[in-house]
Amino acid sequence: MKQTAALPQFDPLSACVHCGFCLEVCPTYQLTGDENNSPRGRLRIWREEAAGRLEAEPMTDFYTSECVGCLACETACPAGVPYGEIFEKTRHEHVATGRFKPKLELKVAAMAVGYPALFNLALTPVRALRSLGFLPHPLVFPGRPAVLESTAAYARRFMALRKPDGPRVALLTGCLMEAMFREINFATVRVLIENNVRVVIPDDQGCCGAFQEHTGLDGVEALRAKNRQAFDGHDVECVVSNSAGCGFALAKTLDGKPPVRDVLGFLGGLGIKPRPRVAGNARVYVDLPCHLVHGQKADGIPKAVLDATGYEWELAPCAKDCCGSGGIYNIQKPENAREILARKSAFLDDAAGEPVILATSNHVCMMQWNSARSLVRRPFQVHHVIQLLDPGEKALLNS
Amino acid sequence: MTSPAQMAGYASDGLGYKTFPPDAVVIPADADDLARVIAVLKGVPICLRGAGTSLSGGPVAAQGGVVIHTSRLRAIRKICPEGLWCEVECGVNLNRLDQALAPYGLCYPPDPSSGPVCTIGGNVASNAGGAHCFRYGVTGNYVLGVEVVLLDGSVHRFGGPAGGRGRWQEDWKRLMIGSEGTLGAFTRFWLRLTPRAEKAWTFRATYADLASTERAIHGLVRHPAFPVAIELMDPRAVALVESSSMAMGLPKDHFMIVTEIDGPAALVDRRVESVAEVLRSAGSKDVQFGDSPEARKNLFQARKAMGGLLGQISPDYLVQDAVIPKRALAELLQLIYDEADQAGFPAVTVMHAGDGNLHPNFLFDSSKPEELEKVEGISKRLMERVVAVGGTLSGEHGIGNDKSEYMGMVFGPDSLRLQLAIPQIFNPRHVFNPLKVFPERRFAA
Ligand SMILES: Cc1cc2nc3c(=O)[nH]c(=O)nc-3n(C[C@H](O)[C@H](O)[C@H](O)COP(=O)(O)OP(=O)(O)OC[C@H]3O[C@@H](n4cnc5c(N)ncnc54)[C@H](O)[C@@H]3O)c2cc1C
Ligand code: SF4
Ligand code: SF4
Repeated sequence: MKQTAALPQFDPLSACVHCGFCLEVCPTYQLTGDENNSPRGRLRIWREEAAGRLEAEPMTDFYTSECVGCLACETACPAGVPYGEIFEKTRHEHVATGRFKPKLELKVAAMAVGYPALFNLALTPVRALRSLGFLPHPLVFPGRPAVLESTAAYARRFMALRKPDGPRVALLTGCLMEAMFREINFATVRVLIENNVRVVIPDDQGCCGAFQEHTGLDGVEALRAKNRQAFDGHDVECVVSNSAGCGFALAKTLDGKPPVRDVLGFLGGLGIKPRPRVAGNARVYVDLPCHLVHGQKADGIPKAVLDATGYEWELAPCAKDCCGSGGIYNIQKPENAREILARKSAFLDDAAGEPVILATSNHVCMMQWNSARSLVRRPFQVHHVIQLLDPGEKALLNS
Repeated sequence: MTSPAQMAGYASDGLGYKTFPPDAVVIPADADDLARVIAVLKGVPICLRGAGTSLSGGPVAAQGGVVIHTSRLRAIRKICPEGLWCEVECGVNLNRLDQALAPYGLCYPPDPSSGPVCTIGGNVASNAGGAHCFRYGVTGNYVLGVEVVLLDGSVHRFGGPAGGRGRWQEDWKRLMIGSEGTLGAFTRFWLRLTPRAEKAWTFRATYADLASTERAIHGLVRHPAFPVAIELMDPRAVALVESSSMAMGLPKDHFMIVTEIDGPAALVDRRVESVAEVLRSAGSKDVQFGDSPEARKNLFQARKAMGGLLGQISPDYLVQDAVIPKRALAELLQLIYDEADQAGFPAVTVMHAGDGNLHPNFLFDSSKPEELEKVEGISKRLMERVVAVGGTLSGEHGIGNDKSEYMGMVFGPDSLRLQLAIPQIFNPRHVFNPLKVFPERRFAA
């Protein structure tokens, strides 16, 4: 009993089968209950317009602008529809043709990240304020960054002092991460060196391009070309990134040459040195960045790494759901972003533990969580998981 | 909402290639809002929509008018562990209900594969089934009561949990179950629950020919372990999995059976070997089984992946939902293969083998009008044969407007007259979901 008609070849770009599996995971569908504000709805509207059956209209522009870009729909889709790719192209087209206008401050910032040295210089006052304990904006979380020393210089200094001889990796320092939240880069360098990893920081690296991708502005290709050059020829096992979103964007850019890995996933494969158990009642709730689990398609943060923090920890409820940050979504669509965050952060009010720590692995998610202080009734801390693994400068030098 | 782009998103259900844009869409905030909307809408057809995963053209505005989307009525209002029932709004998603019941050790058994997205409202309206319904029964077996908004906006409650609150009303819930949105708008349900099974074992076996596959199915349905599910994939379906990124080393020219037993650990652990033996003695040289959550997921994965994989290789697919006597399986599979070969497009067939619910999927491209015509021709001839061998039109997907033309094949004039008398009472001008189930149900202003 046999059929002769052959099965067709796989074609990932062949369109969506309309099964709807992506609806329940989509934050904007959850928020509005409007099918047009879901992946299946957006894909349908774009396809109808592309086929000439639907005229361009403001509602199409609106629904396109509503998407957070969290890519939860890609994970949910059994048919492998490359939603992210289609969305990015559509958003870029909408911006290019004036159907969607990114906010002015985002345009300025997108231009600025193209010039890392200048961007770093311009944000020196913010670093200085943070290091003194002043927080100029609800999105800016507390921390003590070095004001003048760069991560590259810091890494060179510690490499010379500790002389690790294990695997060799390049570190993506990022634009906003380096200019504003440098203390996380420093902690990353310390953790890597403590675990005998040789850290290289290519000087000429630039912004990963995620900012342009999120805003739909031009210039992604130039940034990508620059990074392809910057990360070429360093004889490293991989590039590691401490920001899920930047790592995802760089992975698309380098396309395996060399491979890009999330620093926590990389450390998980090494057998990481644990911190001593934290006494007391503190509890860590781990939130997983969308661009880690849905973008880079990682399973999550390795259990061994989270155990190594020494804290009692558990995944935050709905850890794989979006927090509303969406890179720049919280600036472009603040009301939606806030509502998404309000639902997601509500658990903190009654969460066990004292103090309660929200830990994740992407600085833009940290910014968004930091802004939940006005939604959550009790105090809580926001940290990058790498900071919980940090031996500290003194201990590293003395060990 | 009324803009053309907004209507595009609501133009179809799971059959994406058939579009019926409505004139307007309303998303009520709650049940009161929904009742108000129905009370004020005059002179237009009304179509209720849950998650829009129907595969039969159910939740679409076949005659224009207004679509009411229940996506915001998603509250689980009460879980009563002592009484083994829960009260939910119509837009509650099936898997979310399951998550909410798990901490109580309770379970709502009907499990259509669209669980990650479909709503209880859609399930009740189409009397949904699923893999585990072979043992546990379909949605209708678990509905204790239904709250319905009728045409004039009045709210009625049919049935309810034992000792339920309020005035007792007619127990007409059976009329409502499977009514596909043609009698009224459901807003709330009271559902019967069961204790969650303590443990389950999943089995997978491959077979070189249909005769040995059938032996295995017959052995399983009579086995005292009473399997909860018996799923069949034909060689084309196996080959599809094997040529995808989910390949798991199955022989591409074999049939495959997936089955499951569940119950108290001590009991099911003792039955494992004898179930495996049924699968082996029917002729399988490759029987795998496991009880860990990962092993079970892997064993079931090939079956669960089907719908999505079809989407990866074909612009469109038409799926049928025939229920057949098991003895006719060979004859009907041959007919499916012959028809598909003659038309030049492949068919991939899966089956809830325990209850004889056969799903052949014909892969075609709806942008070529001749292909749609061909595939619908096949569909019709197949259904004629299904009825001739004593089968019926739909096991779980409902009739919608996709299969309404076939109703005359199974029901005689008397039965049709009686069935049509019921909407005459609740919905005389066919305001609710016109052109569905019966083609003569046309809305007249
Ligand atoms: C990938 C996939 C797998 C599937 N697997 C199965 C399966 O295993 N078993 C199965 O039975 N089905 C299956 N289906 C079909 C479909 O999921 C079911 O029919 C499901 O019950 C529909 O639920 P829904 O919420 O999407 O309803 P919709 O598709 O929105 O509506 C279905 C019908 O119910 C009516 N309706 C919806 N809500 C209400 C309400 N509140 N009041 C009155 N009428 C209402 C609609 O008018 C329509 O006629 C599958 C579909 C897909 C896409
Ligand atoms: S990327 Fe996120 S917000 Fe956008 S459609 Fe997908 S799930 Fe929804
Ligand atoms: S899950 Fe994938 S195939 Fe299904 S509707 Fe969403 S995008 Fe389309």
